[in-house]
Amino acid sequence: MIRFEHVGLRYGIGPEVLSDISFALEPGSFHFLTGSSGAGKTSLLTLIYLGRRPTRGLITMFGQNINGLSRAELAPIRQRIGVVFQDFRLLNHMSAFDNVALPLRIQGKAESEIRNNVQELLEWVGLGDHMHVLPNTMSGGQQQRVAIARAVITRPRLLLADEPTGNLDSEIGFRLMNLFEQLNRMGTTILIATHDQTMIERFEHNKLVLDHGGLRVEEPKHWLSKKIDGVF
Amino acid sequence: MQNPFARERSLGVSRTRRRYDLPLNKAGGTGFLTLLIGLMTFLALLALSASFVLSAMTDRWSSGLENRVTIEIPAENEAGKILSSEETKKTGLKIESLLTSHPAVLRTHIMTDEEIRELVKPWLGENLMLGKIPLPGLISAELQEMTPETIQILEKKIKAIHKTARIDTHEEWLGDLLRFTGALQFAAFILALVIGLATITAVAGAVRSHMAVYHAEVELLHLMGAHDSYISRQFQRHSLSLAFQGGLCGVAIGGLCLLIIGWISGEMGVSLLPDFRMGYLQLGVLATLPVFMALISALAARQTVLKVLRKMP
Repeated sequence: MIRFEHVGLRYGIGPEVLSDISFALEPGSFHFLTGSSGAGKTSLLTLIYLGRRPTRGLITMFGQNINGLSRAELAPIRQRIGVVFQDFRLLNHMSAFDNVALPLRIQGKAESEIRNNVQELLEWVGLGDHMHVLPNTMSGGQQQRVAIARAVITRPRLLLADEPTGNLDSEIGFRLMNLFEQLNRMGTTILIATHDQTMIERFEHNKLVLDHGGLRVEEPKHWLSKKIDGVF
Repeated sequence: MQNPFARERSLGVSRTRRRYDLPLNKAGGTGFLTLLIGLMTFLALLALSASFVLSAMTDRWSSGLENRVTIEIPAENEAGKILSSEETKKTGLKIESLLTSHPAVLRTHIMTDEEIRELVKPWLGENLMLGKIPLPGLISAELQEMTPETIQILEKKIKAIHKTARIDTHEEWLGDLLRFTGALQFAAFILALVIGLATITAVAGAVRSHMAVYHAEVELLHLMGAHDSYISRQFQRHSLSLAFQGGLCGVAIGGLCLLIIGWISGEMGVSLLPDFRMGYLQLGVLATLPVFMALISALAARQTVLKVLRKMP
């Protein structure tokens, strides 16, 4: 699904914020991306959602070498990726409904289909009565749910989330994590950047740990203990 | 049965597709752009009207004088003696008789005093005592083909009858006039071109400014997988709409100005001024100016957006 080989990224003439990153995300996998502040989590996510091109290395997504693709060829790949941005990036002149409908409209879906899907999803995330509300009049938690609904409305093959539960109370956070797991069971590959150790421990998935510009993969602790106990 | 849209309507959710994903309607400077395009259209309308009027004048002059010459019999002889009206008329008849017998001449017409007075009226006025001024004799002749040889032969024969008589082929003044109107037409064309370029520059500037203001929103659409054409369509539609509105205002005001100019020239009764009436085709071209302005604005917006988007990954 996603393969990074010796990827490096620098901004301008500054030092490399990501250096020699190599990993692979298998289709249908679920990973947490973690690391200390400034470790480069957002930069790595930016590379994955094709917000930037790497300064070196090779990125393969959905079987295609990104480096060799034109701008026009990247658009359909971006349509397969859902992103929940840390700062939500909602369009404040649009209602919650239109914000969530936007990716479907970009993909040219019929309005009847858009109406049904968006309404259903907003009700599911508990915003059924806030469809007409503009994001800047919503609470942080409500905005975050709109952002998550927008990211998953197209049933993307890859879902990236940057601190998706940061502004949510634990119950809503838990429900949204369940939504991610549900999407994951339906085949969506999930990568969640988070600091929330409780959540990482509660939902046992592989971890990509960014440290000093490099990256290592860690398996859940209980798997390790099971391995030690000879279960596997 | 419950209306499936009832709940949606009660929530105020739009059932129709939004016009813009970017808040271009709320962007500052849209009124200024509409006004600017209105002014450009107004100027373009005046320039084109001038060009049409000049073109019509040129055609009228050229076609009216094609293969035509005027034989002028001065009101005095070579010794400087003023001829009587009778003598001038007698000479005129002789020359007309000569012309009609020549195979190169198709038809002739001796101009009456009334016709001559009508010709000089724009310069000398209506109330002048023309009866007391000796008038030259004028004969209009239409030739089969106006060649220098024919003119030379005819002039020689005419001079044998009256030494100071001469043939005016109109080439001298008509050539100057055509060159002058041609220069004016060229100036009008250049002006229209400058107006078009200014419109394109203004629209491109406004689009660049909007793209800078809404950079985050544009980038978001881009990251969601919107093709460049999807994003550019938003700006195109917006520019098209603004330019069309501005164009309509410009044409309305310009049309009113042309009516006033036409009315004033009619009221003044100055027959030297060109005729401001235009044909249906020309009026049709002027009426399509808002569409033209809207199209070039949309095209300028599209090209600008595509150029800016090319800088995104």
